[in-house]
Amino acid sequence: MAAPRASAAPGLRELWENRPAIYSRALWALIICLDRLPWPWGEDGLARLFAAAALVRGSRRRPAIAWASQQPGHRAWRLALAVAAFRGRWVARSALLGVRGPDDLRRRVVVDGEEYLAGVPGGTILLGFHLGPPNVDVALRTLGRRLAWLGSIRRSPAWSREAWRPFADPRDNLCPPDVESFWPGYLYRARRILLDGGTIFTMADAWAGREVFQVALPGSAVSIRPGWITLWRQTGARVLPVTTHLAGRAQIITIYPPLQAPGTDGGDGLDAWRDTLGSLVKDYVRRFPEQCPSLAFPPQLGARPRPGVGAHGND
Amino acid sequence: MTGDSVLDRVQRIVAVTAGPTRTPPGAGPDTPLGGGGFWLDSVDLVEVIVACETEFAVTFDGETDLTMEALGTARTLADLILSKGPR
Repeated sequence: MAAPRASAAPGLRELWENRPAIYSRALWALIICLDRLPWPWGEDGLARLFAAAALVRGSRRRPAIAWASQQPGHRAWRLALAVAAFRGRWVARSALLGVRGPDDLRRRVVVDGEEYLAGVPGGTILLGFHLGPPNVDVALRTLGRRLAWLGSIRRSPAWSREAWRPFADPRDNLCPPDVESFWPGYLYRARRILLDGGTIFTMADAWAGREVFQVALPGSAVSIRPGWITLWRQTGARVLPVTTHLAGRAQIITIYPPLQAPGTDGGDGLDAWRDTLGSLVKDYVRRFPEQCPSLAFPPQLGARPRPGVGAHGND
Repeated sequence: MTGDSVLDRVQRIVAVTAGPTRTPPGAGPDTPLGGGGFWLDSVDLVEVIVACETEFAVTFDGETDLTMEALGTARTLADLILSKGPR
């Protein structure tokens, strides 16, 4: 997330220059333009555009159909178009397209399992996945949850709006700049937050970093990275898996019970965690395959920070 | 505490974290901790940082101390620790 600015909203030039590396110029221009429209016009527009692109562009159509054809119980073409459209919706929600302020988002968020967040002292790791709509941490924060995001930097015209400024506090956004991608200091700060009893939201299936284990799925796989495991080892924080999906216009966030602490299963915990997270991911993909664009269109890792020192396993 | 003793201890911590398979032959205080040297990734480096924190009873500032330069080699990390007044 971009650092907060002290002055007025940035102009078009500054917005343009803040284009995330993962977006093409054309898509970023479209996002800036569509953001002027009231929600959900821009989001619906992007969804239709991405579906149309999947119809006419072989580079989009082929992977979508190849993936969709391996999902049991679905017509490949229909699912391919649905997942392509959801990819557009994902981009829109990632940019908070047309969402003028936290209240607009809060009204459309429903949390299931919120009781697992309440009343327990000590640090908490909320463990997300690249499944369903993005910005789960932002949605939880609109509901008043105090937590810090450990992951990729997020850029959107929305963050420059006054209403979103409190969400851009660097203390709550542990995100190295795109160009730097050097994570140790951010992981260390996350560790400190957890030791102080705070809450971190991070991704189990980060784009970069070495693979701890893999969840095999029809036509794809989810790679689980080590960042959150290291933070858990160093802090003993509770780990609560979190998934999210769209039900119509509403975003449903499901918080699961804490992962069983290691030692109680006789091993180092990873076997039990592999099973628990594997079941969770498989169930999600079975129920909401159209909301899994990261599986149908695996990200181009070449555009991401190179492995090595920069690879952290948290974005 | 001398700089040499801090450096020796930092090198030991790095070697333990990297393990024998990732410790390059002839590794020394100026061997890169990341690519081209020990190939420690960010998660490994946090392990090194926390081990150093315990070993030397120092506290790092996550915003300003843990830069790519400071975590470049065992020597630069030892220099950072020395600047913190290690025990």
